[in-house]
Amino acid sequence: MISTILLLGTVLSTVTGRIGNIAGTVRRQVLLPIGRVLDRLFAPLDRVLDPGARAYNRFLGPYFGEMTGLQFGVIAVSFVALLSAGVWAPIVGPLLGGGLLRTLALASIWAIFAMSWDIQSGYTGYISFGHSALSGAAGYATALLIVHVDPTLSIWVTGSVSVLAALAVGLLIALPTLQLEGPYFSLITFVAVLLFYRLTTSFSSLGGVPGFGQPDVFTWDPVMRYYYMVIPMLLIALGLTFMARSDLGMILIAIRENEAAVSAAGINPTKFKLWSFMLSSVPMGIGGVLLVGFTGNVDPSTFVMVDNSIEMIAIAVIGGMSSILGPLGGAFLFEILNHQILHGYSTPVRYLFLWLIVLLVLVFARDGLFRAIWHRLGAVRGDSE
Amino acid sequence: MLGDIATLVLQGTMISAVYALIAIGFTMIFGVGGTLNLAHGALIMSGAYVFGVLAQSTHPVVAFLLTIGVVALFSWGLYQILVRWVEENVVITFLSTVIVAVAVTKVILIQFGGSPLGMTLVSGAVNLEPYGINARPRNVQFLGFVISWVAIGLLWYYITKTDDGRSILAASMSERGAQLTGVDLQSVRSKTWLIAGALAGVAGIILGSTSGATPNMWLNPLALAFMIVVIGGIGSIKGSVVAAYVIGFLEQFTVTFVGHGFRGILSLVVLVIFLLFMPQGLYGREFAHD
Repeated sequence: MISTILLLGTVLSTVTGRIGNIAGTVRRQVLLPIGRVLDRLFAPLDRVLDPGARAYNRFLGPYFGEMTGLQFGVIAVSFVALLSAGVWAPIVGPLLGGGLLRTLALASIWAIFAMSWDIQSGYTGYISFGHSALSGAAGYATALLIVHVDPTLSIWVTGSVSVLAALAVGLLIALPTLQLEGPYFSLITFVAVLLFYRLTTSFSSLGGVPGFGQPDVFTWDPVMRYYYMVIPMLLIALGLTFMARSDLGMILIAIRENEAAVSAAGINPTKFKLWSFMLSSVPMGIGGVLLVGFTGNVDPSTFVMVDNSIEMIAIAVIGGMSSILGPLGGAFLFEILNHQILHGYSTPVRYLFLWLIVLLVLVFARDGLFRAIWHRLGAVRGDSE
Repeated sequence: MLGDIATLVLQGTMISAVYALIAIGFTMIFGVGGTLNLAHGALIMSGAYVFGVLAQSTHPVVAFLLTIGVVALFSWGLYQILVRWVEENVVITFLSTVIVAVAVTKVILIQFGGSPLGMTLVSGAVNLEPYGINARPRNVQFLGFVISWVAIGLLWYYITKTDDGRSILAASMSERGAQLTGVDLQSVRSKTWLIAGALAGVAGIILGSTSGATPNMWLNPLALAFMIVVIGGIGSIKGSVVAAYVIGFLEQFTVTFVGHGFRGILSLVVLVIFLLFMPQGLYGREFAHD
């Protein structure tokens, strides 16, 4: 038995060694030349877009980060594409299996979740497995208000109370745990979300397993629904990018890199981790409210289940942790893969496929796909970044 | 009331032995490699499903032994194929192991569907009502208790009395010191994963035989393992056993006297108290050097 295992081990390690060699050869012989060709193709475009980028850099660069011409072009095109999706998506949709606007709306919600997770976990390195508890708090607050207080309450009332509820649950999780060392924090958030799930399923006053069906969806019109989701998403993206590029973001990154050095510089890391958690709770709450308006049903499996937290993490990982725009791109990639490209398969098969992709990204492209593309775009003319 | 207390003691004693088994594998891997294996629950779950399938066609004892071997190989394979390549980065390691866990859940959903898979090691139950105890513990619970303690005893013997096992202990105390005395860290780590897998297999069989196997059964053991490890002190087998009894009795206490919905809350409160005031746990060591 032991000798068989040792034999297997030797075989496995030589095979993986081989794979490493092959990967190196591929990189040198195939990827680098392709990269050079792309550089040559894209450099003129980069130069054409440069004036726009320069104007942006002068006025907004200090707040949202500087861009090269090509990066500016990509952002501008994506922005216009997202805002005009109401026009083009119904035309393109049938080619991709239909329901494209629904997918894009859903992707906007998950982008909010992933970006919020990222400002807390990606930036500070304190990985939270419990973020679905925050959106869950918002969703349940809305449902409880509608069921127990007044079904005719306006969205402004229920929405703001729900965001406050997310913030309260966030503080409840963060206050005792954020003084803990990294992995302890992660695991306690994991236990917290399990507990929250168990509470929602076993208490009938919280709706039990079926949850609440009373909250109304915002609208049944797919185009309007999309804009209800995408516009808050873009605003949150702007806000979080601004925060991430400010001194606060810098301190959060410093905490991830070397917490001892941060406290040695006279900054209290726990205070800033708490800030990042609160900064993350508010958009999580908004996302939760939007999800209520999207599904019209508040139940444990759409809001609380630990898989949801892991999905947020997976999206941020695919896009690129600790970059706000990475998770945004990751959410659209993830949801389009999930609901359009893999449309024909059953739910578990689709998710198995997606988790395997995430695993590959974690092992082979830790910085995430969109971050890698972004830096590649920035380096087209030879400058780094 | 007296009957309730007797039930509490009986059920608490039996379930805690399994909890200890669950936690020991988790803490060994953390103690030796500094790796948080969030796929530990998934290994336990695969133990339950492998046994469930094998027990349909073979004798339970054969299935029992085969399952342990298979899960140990799963665990070892997980280390060799995935964890070995990312273990220098703690965050990437536990993100990738948790992704493995949810992926395994999906594999099980595809293969077995969402409904529970029933199985049993031994059937039958003991009626204790004539003795004033309001419980009908099943034979498999008694057997689970015995098996858990045998497994823990074997492991204890291996770790403290054999050279092979003592190298694991040494590596968990000080990696550098162990290397200086000629311990091959890579092989120690592989061995730890193999042992942790075998223990997870045993725990999976017992859990599956007492309450059936479901695709989400990995969550609870993982949360339990973590709570127990923190309370007992990371890397300490003795601590895991003691803390398993603390958690097991607390849970049984809340179920008996407070209500089923509160099952985890008391344990969580104890966990938070420990994290804040005694983060090294009951039998933990200071992490002085690596």
